[in-house]
Amino acid sequence: MILAIIENAFLSLIGSAIPASAVVMLAATGAMLGERVGVLNLGQEGLIGIGAVFSVIAVLSWGVESPWVAMLIGMIAAAVAGLIFALCVVSFRASQVLVGLALALGGIGLSNQLGVNRNGTPIQTLFREINPGGVLDDNDLVSAFLFHDPVVYIAYIGLPVVLWFVLFRTRHGMNMRAVGENPAAADAVGVSVTGWRIFYSVLGAALTGAGGAYMVLSFTPTWSPDIARGRGWVALAVVIFAGWRPGWAVAGALLYGSMISLDTTAQARGWGLPFMGASDLSFFLSMLPYVVTLVAILIPAGAVKLGRRVRSTAAPAALAIPYSREER
Amino acid sequence: MTGDGTRPSVEALGISKAFGGVAALDAVDFEVRWSEVHALVGENGAGKTTLCNILAGIYRADAGQVIVDGTERDFRSPAHAIDAGIGMVHQHFRLVEPMTVAENIHLGWPETPGVVSQRALVDRTEQFMGEMGLHVDPTARIWQLSVGEQQRVEILRVLARGARVLILDEPTAVLTAKEADDLFRVIRELAASGLSVIFITHKLREVLAVSDRLTVLRHGVREITRPTEGATASEIARLMTGEERVLDVEHRTVTGAPALELSGVSALNDRGIEALHDVDLTVRSGEILGIAGVSGNGQSELAEVICALRPLRSGSITLDGADLASLSVRAVTDIGVGHIPEDRIGMGMVLSAPVKDNAVLHNYWTEEFAQGLTLDRQGVINFAKQLVETARVQTRSVFSTAGQMSGGNQQRLVARREALAADRLLVAAHPTRGLDVNAAQEVRSTLIDKRDSGCAVLLISDDLDEVLLMGDRIAVMYEGRIMGVFDSADADREHIGLLMGGHSAVEAAS
Amino acid sequence: MTPLGSIASTVLRVTPWRLERRLEVEARRAALTRIGGAVGAMVLVGIVLLLTGRNAFWIFWQGLDAIFGRQRGIEGAALRAIPILMTALGVALSLRMKVWNIGSDGQFLMGALAAVGVGIHMDGPAWLVLIVMAAAATLAGAAWILVPALARAYWDVNEIITTLLLNFVALQLVTWSALGFWRDKEAAVIQSTREVAHTLPGLPGANSVTIALLVPLVIAAALWWVFRSTTIGYEIDTIGGNPRAAGYAGIAVRRRILIVMLFTGAIAGLGGMLQLSAPGAQAMNAGFSAQFGLSGFIVAALAGASFWGVIGGGLFIASMFYAGIVLQTKGLSVYIIFAIYGVILTGIALGEIAARYRVVRREAVDGDGAQAGDDHDAATERAAT
Repeated sequence: MILAIIENAFLSLIGSAIPASAVVMLAATGAMLGERVGVLNLGQEGLIGIGAVFSVIAVLSWGVESPWVAMLIGMIAAAVAGLIFALCVVSFRASQVLVGLALALGGIGLSNQLGVNRNGTPIQTLFREINPGGVLDDNDLVSAFLFHDPVVYIAYIGLPVVLWFVLFRTRHGMNMRAVGENPAAADAVGVSVTGWRIFYSVLGAALTGAGGAYMVLSFTPTWSPDIARGRGWVALAVVIFAGWRPGWAVAGALLYGSMISLDTTAQARGWGLPFMGASDLSFFLSMLPYVVTLVAILIPAGAVKLGRRVRSTAAPAALAIPYSREER
Repeated sequence: MTGDGTRPSVEALGISKAFGGVAALDAVDFEVRWSEVHALVGENGAGKTTLCNILAGIYRADAGQVIVDGTERDFRSPAHAIDAGIGMVHQHFRLVEPMTVAENIHLGWPETPGVVSQRALVDRTEQFMGEMGLHVDPTARIWQLSVGEQQRVEILRVLARGARVLILDEPTAVLTAKEADDLFRVIRELAASGLSVIFITHKLREVLAVSDRLTVLRHGVREITRPTEGATASEIARLMTGEERVLDVEHRTVTGAPALELSGVSALNDRGIEALHDVDLTVRSGEILGIAGVSGNGQSELAEVICALRPLRSGSITLDGADLASLSVRAVTDIGVGHIPEDRIGMGMVLSAPVKDNAVLHNYWTEEFAQGLTLDRQGVINFAKQLVETARVQTRSVFSTAGQMSGGNQQRLVARREALAADRLLVAAHPTRGLDVNAAQEVRSTLIDKRDSGCAVLLISDDLDEVLLMGDRIAVMYEGRIMGVFDSADADREHIGLLMGGHSAVEAAS
Repeated sequence: MTPLGSIASTVLRVTPWRLERRLEVEARRAALTRIGGAVGAMVLVGIVLLLTGRNAFWIFWQGLDAIFGRQRGIEGAALRAIPILMTALGVALSLRMKVWNIGSDGQFLMGALAAVGVGIHMDGPAWLVLIVMAAAATLAGAAWILVPALARAYWDVNEIITTLLLNFVALQLVTWSALGFWRDKEAAVIQSTREVAHTLPGLPGANSVTIALLVPLVIAAALWWVFRSTTIGYEIDTIGGNPRAAGYAGIAVRRRILIVMLFTGAIAGLGGMLQLSAPGAQAMNAGFSAQFGLSGFIVAALAGASFWGVIGGGLFIASMFYAGIVLQTKGLSVYIIFAIYGVILTGIALGEIAARYRVVRREAVDGDGAQAGDDHDAATERAAT
């Protein structure tokens, strides 16, 4: 009896954790791209909103019928915002913290404004789950684990593998890391620091925008104000937790996702504790994802402090520092 | 295209460059030929590095032409200069510390394969090192290497890209005598194979030893270009400074009881590696003890450990018999210890704060300026004005920020501030580094005044000439150990140079 | 070089001027260019409004009229100014030390929540309850930043994300209180906590503004004095300017960072209590903070290091905020305000950069000012003599 309950709970948890944090995964990968070349974009929250709202507009107003095209439109919109950000902080060397916060604020405001007449309208153009059918169909555990829409596979497997390969197995990735660690060194050997920083800021913004698009094209699937609900900030935290390593972001995102789905599962099933009613427990659980994320950020720093090790998980040395050739 | 030794490889015509309205270079002409080692000589601030940065595409000239092998070039980035065959090894290395030697050599290089494994990079690097006859462990990470090895990586990287004009900015500043000799040999071989080598330095001995021709810059203007053969050190020195160097310090022999006494001192560096091993030292009141040694051999840690900025691992430090090691930074200051830190910008001042605040950085909390929590603003201002005047610091006012002053004025301020605070002991780490002759002389005379007033002075410098000039006694440091201590009368330049390079006293004596 | 960079440099090349970097920026110049950036951003917003068919001038006039046309408008702006000023002062204090406390919204909420808790449970004379409420709010605000502060001070964990994440936790906690444990069961429309019975005394002649408005002024004055005339202010500025130099001067850097961060949280927390003690605002719901912390952050960014600048900037932003609320009834949504904030903040950031450059004529090289680079020390020295 009790075993059955636990098994059931576990299945629901995993089933919803993976899609729940696909957004975080995409945004974290996007943020990591920029940070690897030394650009800290605190505007992830705004970029998710922009990516989401433009996908919604594409579907509802422009009659786009393919979720891929809708997502592409969301990505382009986010990329444009990312380009403005990059020009400010890379070309003009404005403070990455200030402009990043400006992007977070402006992006939330802009997307909410554009979405104001589309609140709650259900989206019909959705990504479809890949499910080969057949023998595995009746096994809930396996299907919860394996069968998702294609974006999930891209976010959790495709992107981390590609990013890892590029960063650590190609000339291009070596140069990328150099730009983030020591731009003067990269510049001295002919790598265009400015160009690379702008390029990867824009590409990273597009990926975060894809995260927003995924929310409205699969996860929610409808527009509501403040759509990101902190996922952009969580993504930034996941990058720190992952120590700027693509594979570890998966663990960070799933940690967050399982907290989210713990909350939703508890609500859906009306769970309660002897000393806490169902509604109180739900309120309590809704704080948990952020608390757990906060603790997760402290883990690598604590590990370094207490156990003195892990050089490889340090932030890129030039993160958030503008580069100018004629200055030392 | 190379080899005859008379055709110019690089010509710079009428180069001008200003920073913040101040001319660093004023219509400078400069010519280097194939197969020659060309020394570019001048004091700090003469414009040597600026000129070479323009040749290497780091800066763009405000006016003038750069002609490489007969073709006029307009470099917009270092990449353009590399394409034209000009490579520069900077004084501050441009290496990515967490990456390996092999990765650093292949960085930004179009010939690096698009998809690479560490293995492949290492193989390529080893093959290449074999061709060049220069070797460093290709799998080592940069931060694990000695400074001399890092420099070799830089040179390899430049040569790998087919540079035919190699610029070396103060390459010996961080090397031991032995390492410097190795470098000179490499430079000669490169020139013999047809390359041009531009060698920036202010050390006259090196100019005479290694170069074919030399160019002297002073205050951003070219003084002369001539063959090295037949030139004398005093002639070059006069051209560099515009006057004969006047260097005369009377040494003293002080007996008396030791003021500062270190015994068996060990300490860790920032990486957690032991940087001081069992150091025994004494400094008496009224004498200057000079610490000779190449930078990075524990001198910084020595200064910090004395001033309570770094914890002691073992051993004891006493000042006039009282234990120093257990005191806080403030208590150490309180009993009359001054400290001119090695990194004046990084540690000794707050550039964004006004001069007046910097003037009291080390003693704002003493009764002179603080009553309880309140700070005596007028007292601070008066003190700062007086300090600025006596130290002859040039600043618009004590209210303008320290960052607006030149490096020389910053150092004068720090030196005088610490000298005032030091009643019993003054620790001066590289106090004249980066200063021109006048500023350096003033700082030195501050130290001598201090000594003459009965204070103990510990002078740390990587400029052996300065240590020999100033030190009443001289101690040599190598890899965190004291290799020997000499009275200035017995100090032999060559002998000390060998000790600085790690040769034991016995070896050095034989 | 990027295409844009090369276009810019080409454009500059054909003109007789070029940009040149200043080594050191005067605070006054930086303040002016920041304000210039903010104003420029607002002009840009106005142009966008015009282009989208809205009459920007009319909106601007309506905004002015909404505030200054009647006493209710002035008081409305003043009421918004209190929370904005308090959070801004907290952020400005942390910025003196180059610490970014972006969690002031959370600290503000937790302060208010603690005040509600005291207010609805404590019996006693009004003055006593209010004092205990203020104390509880101050402590709660400080407590809410404790973990980020410890992590920053002793583990070198960047405070931006840690402080921000706690905003979400605080918001959930407030929601819980309003819908759960302190819910007012009689409230009909908007679910909120029970109401605190006491309010602060009103200002003479005001309908709704209480003496709470004086608190940020007093705190600004106190902070101004601390940074002008005490060793504590000197130490904080030294840490902000160069932490290594602070260590060299014998300042306990880590402990100072911890304490100052706790203070910034405490100020924001007290702001929560002040907001709660105004007539008609004595209960909390999920919308208790209209993102006051973010407004406060903008104010602090605009004011730089100046606490009087915070007061001026805070009153300005509060007026804009209130005008925005009023204009909602006239066809602008509250979301626009955030979009405008974003543009203004970008303008401030760009303005800050503009202060570091000056335009000089190509050939005329004059002798004032310093320049970059070790190698040129001597050159400056000559220029100064």
